[in-house]
Amino acid sequence: MDLTIDDTIQDLRTDLALALEMAKDEGFKVVGCLCSYTPIELILAAGAIPVGLCGTTQEPIAKAEEILSADQCPKVKATFGRAVSGTCPLFPLADCILAETTCDGRKKMYELLARYTPMQVMDLPQKPEEPEALPHWRSQIAKAKAFLELQLKTTITDDDLRRAIGLTNRERLLMQAIYACCAHTPPPLMGLDFARIISKVRHFTNFQAHLDVLEQLLAELRLRIRQGRFACDAQRPRILWTGLGSSLGCSKVLELVEDAGGVVVCQEGCGGMTRMEDLVDETIDPLTAIARRYLGVTCACMSPNSARFADLRRLVSEFKIDGVIDLAWQFCQPFEIESYRVKELISEELGLPFLHVVTDYSESDVGQLRIRVEGFMEQILARRTYAVHRRASGL
Amino acid sequence: MFGGIDIGSKTTKAILLDGRTIAAHAILETGINPSGSGEAALEMVLANRGLPRSTVTRIVGTGYGRVRLAAADRTVTELSCHAAGAHFLDPCLRTLVDIGGQDSKAIRLAPDGSLADFVMNDKCAAGTGRFLETAARVLHTDLATLSRSAAEATRACTINSTCAVFAESEIISLLAAGASQADIVAGLYASFAQRIGNLVRRLKVEPPVALVGGVAKNEGLRRALAENLGLAFRPLPIDPQLVGALGAAVIAQRMEPDRPGDIQN
Repeated sequence: MDLTIDDTIQDLRTDLALALEMAKDEGFKVVGCLCSYTPIELILAAGAIPVGLCGTTQEPIAKAEEILSADQCPKVKATFGRAVSGTCPLFPLADCILAETTCDGRKKMYELLARYTPMQVMDLPQKPEEPEALPHWRSQIAKAKAFLELQLKTTITDDDLRRAIGLTNRERLLMQAIYACCAHTPPPLMGLDFARIISKVRHFTNFQAHLDVLEQLLAELRLRIRQGRFACDAQRPRILWTGLGSSLGCSKVLELVEDAGGVVVCQEGCGGMTRMEDLVDETIDPLTAIARRYLGVTCACMSPNSARFADLRRLVSEFKIDGVIDLAWQFCQPFEIESYRVKELISEELGLPFLHVVTDYSESDVGQLRIRVEGFMEQILARRTYAVHRRASGL
Repeated sequence: MFGGIDIGSKTTKAILLDGRTIAAHAILETGINPSGSGEAALEMVLANRGLPRSTVTRIVGTGYGRVRLAAADRTVTELSCHAAGAHFLDPCLRTLVDIGGQDSKAIRLAPDGSLADFVMNDKCAAGTGRFLETAARVLHTDLATLSRSAAEATRACTINSTCAVFAESEIISLLAAGASQADIVAGLYASFAQRIGNLVRRLKVEPPVALVGGVAKNEGLRRALAENLGLAFRPLPIDPQLVGALGAAVIAQRMEPDRPGDIQN
């Protein structure tokens, strides 16, 4: 399997749009998803194709700013821009959209987005550890199911749900195994290539075919490790990425990190591993099982989002991390504020170099970001040298 | 002999280092040609001592223009260079505040003088040398006068803005309302010190602390910032604007040429 991805995000979207048009001609329906909280199982159980519509590129933002104020996060603006700019080939193909009340920027933007496509905005409880959260969230999932049945003119049975759960659990197990390949020192892929390939495999129309691609990807990564074909040498500082994502289209900071001599071996959080290890329980009532699984997804819109901190602690050791980068998109209040706690954990408690980056999708600040990233890498190398000296002098 | 060249957004600095001795130094305007000014600064320090280029074993480039400097054998960020330079001058130093032409930074040093942690300002010019230049322009004065004028303030104006462009319009309004230049400047320094002070406090401030970079030469601001942080800055034996270039030369001197990726020792 060739792991070199030359496609731009626009290429991937155009290709997927063509495939979706063909699928729609055959009678398939398409449901837009905007977030890691969207219960994909409902969409698969309805026999429809889930398509991610979250904005990751700069180009639709200018149009979105005609309606949204400029000081909203780039994700909110780019997502809205996909609907209004007329440049996204995928948005018009969605028959309807499932969304959730996550951060304020998103839920207020959804009120406007709903003018363009039928939408169900599920009320996501933001203190998921409270006992009342689960029954409420389950009721919202049941409503979303009814919404899909109405919009797609179908019925979703428990058996349909169980079949869908079987598929998504299979995907989660494969993704976990794929992520785990990068725990190897050195990793079989650079972080940028990994982000590219993950972005690519997330563009699919047929879920079973998608699982087959994941199988091939996993086999290829394992083969590379067995044959000793690695992406870099074992000395490269290993970076854990946390906070907001760096998928294809908005990977400038990831590129800077790897240009400066690091390798991103793990991405926790939005667009990364976000509780990929949580399967949907196949032994209980499917709606309750789905509700429970998605309520466990971590995001700074949740309070106090404790699971993110437990994850970080674990991933730092599992992936043998040398330094942590925490990215917040500009104007993202939840991730900006939560970053203080991430820094406390990483730099004070675990004693690792930590860099908080705030940026947007534009290229305008690459110069300013480069010095921060290079300084961070120098910090990691200095820490290593210092540790060697301390050991040498018997301290 | 080892060379350090620091190409900042506003000025370019060069140092020739011979063991523990600073053999020559130069400061000139960066202008619109960063690589040209790097070369010019190197020529100046060499001419200063009447030395040929071949006497310089190794050169490290730093500052925002570092990537354009063909003469450099190696580039290192100004974060590590300031740390190395300050440690060379005073090994006790644990924290640096660097206020440059286009950004400001707080840097924590490890006991061996390497970079332990840092924070930097965001994109805005508020809290940088550019901000002071803007203020001087609006007040029809120069930076040297600006540096002194807060001393005569009787009642510092309140300037709330954390945005350099808005601060400019605030100054214009204050002038229109009849405020004295000294009171406006004292207000500017207080607002500047508040912004930098908050940045520095985001890092754990460990004394002793030194103020480096071109803006460190502004007496009024230095005093306002020390007051905001509740500490006294350690005086440095050289021009604080030269610390980055000195650190670059220090790193050049101790670098082993065949060990890429290991810049610290």
